[in-house]
Amino acid sequence: MRIPLYQVDAFTNKTFGGNPAAVCPLDSWLPDALMQAIAAENNLSETAFFVLRGTEYELRWFTPVAEVDLAGHPTLATAWTILNLLGVAHDVLVFHTKIGDRLVVTREGDRLAMDFPSRPPKPRAIGDVAAALRAKPLEIAAARDGFAVFASEDDVRALKPDMPKVAALDCMALIATAPGKDCDFVSRFFAPKHDIPEDPVTGSAHCTLIPYWAKRLGKSEMFARQVSARGGELWCRDRGERVTIAGQCAPFLQGWIDV
Amino acid sequence: MNEIIARDRAERTLRIPVHRIDAFAARPFAGNPAAVCPLEHWLPDAVLQSIAAENNLAQTAFYVARPAPAGDPEPHFDLRWFTPAAEVDICGHATLASAHFILDRGGVAASGVTFHTRSGPLRVTRDGARLALDFPARPPGPHDTGRAALEAALGARPRAVLKSRDLFAVFDNAKAVADLRPDMARVAALDCFGVIATAPGADCDFVSRFFAPKVGVPEDPVTGSAHCSLIPYWAERLGKAELFARQISARGGELWCRHRGERVTIAGHCAPFLSGTITL
Repeated sequence: MRIPLYQVDAFTNKTFGGNPAAVCPLDSWLPDALMQAIAAENNLSETAFFVLRGTEYELRWFTPVAEVDLAGHPTLATAWTILNLLGVAHDVLVFHTKIGDRLVVTREGDRLAMDFPSRPPKPRAIGDVAAALRAKPLEIAAARDGFAVFASEDDVRALKPDMPKVAALDCMALIATAPGKDCDFVSRFFAPKHDIPEDPVTGSAHCTLIPYWAKRLGKSEMFARQVSARGGELWCRDRGERVTIAGQCAPFLQGWIDV
Repeated sequence: MNEIIARDRAERTLRIPVHRIDAFAARPFAGNPAAVCPLEHWLPDAVLQSIAAENNLAQTAFYVARPAPAGDPEPHFDLRWFTPAAEVDICGHATLASAHFILDRGGVAASGVTFHTRSGPLRVTRDGARLALDFPARPPGPHDTGRAALEAALGARPRAVLKSRDLFAVFDNAKAVADLRPDMARVAALDCFGVIATAPGADCDFVSRFFAPKVGVPEDPVTGSAHCSLIPYWAERLGKAELFARQISARGGELWCRHRGERVTIAGHCAPFLSGTITL
């Protein structure tokens, strides 16, 4: 069996930037074990598989070890692949996930916009964040992830976290953020508990970043950079209960796999 | 104007073939994966490193054809290997995968191929349906110190401990090797490149596993270089020069081995997984 495979860098317009994902269009669903084996062989943070159903799509994501319920950057990569490499001319793509979510991706100029829930951070004790980051934040809060606010972009770029201590915090992962120099805010995302010391670009972290910065800066449209080594660019909109996260993608590889 | 921009873009676009191949395996999803990128000419080191990082496999091999010496009917290539983090001096499984692409899928009828590398020339030859690497023998010697540290790292007591480049722990049976759950922080603290655990096999001459957390590889799926030590040890112990070995990692690998004194032959199959084009 021959399956097309695309490797796309999401949340960047430069190959080797952003967050890489593999995207495999399928005619019909494969056995779960085979999709898991393909994702393990790809060895990227996520491999997305999708099947066209009428005019909408079913979408599933696998890490090298397990299927996951929701993933932002492989969804952006999938939508970009459908619209730019597979010749689909729609302005709106609808994806149905395994747990029943409906994800809508909309073309906005040369970007693609995803609609996500808003998860504003709230004051909560999650452990010794200053020790974990080896730097004292100005402010600490949490939603799904711990949320540490610093004074400047340089403070966030300079962080060298103590990963075992980050993994021991009472939260899924840890977001570090500050006002940006040439953007509204910057962030980094550490998830050693899930074997990701630092994620290059993290859509889901912006579910928490966007409501925080929208309130603090008094604006609903923001441009953000994730200042990991690979780097990512995100165009953000606060819409109350929901947020919009838009980005670009850069192609790396097109090919096929024989299984 | 738009036409000029479009043409400029088309001319700038660099297309690099890429093949992901599982080495030392007869089927995909087993063996040790490597990416192989045939190049027309060398690209800047930073581009090679970025491609290897983006591939995120243990090794990406790049090669460029070079003229064969007069009278040699076999093709010659310059070959380099990159991990996601750095260029490395030697890599067996990515060399096997490169030879597989050239000899089995490149329409080359030659009986072998020679690669010129940081570690000198490496020749890979056809061996029936398999491909064979010619490597130096590194027989393990006595090792009397630090046995307690090794036992603590492996969480088990080997029958014998020897040393070559790697610490070499011999167990009584394959189950003892399969059951090992090493403490990787302790393995990384040992005074060696990696740790080989080995035992007689039930359906093969010997089995092994290889742990190298010091170089970022907690367990390597299949390790050609470990067999530079395994082959002379088992050839002497079993009194035979031809051996069939299994590396019993989760992915698993099969190696057909021959002891030739100063050198060893390590042969295996390769299974193609992905073929495609990188566009930069």
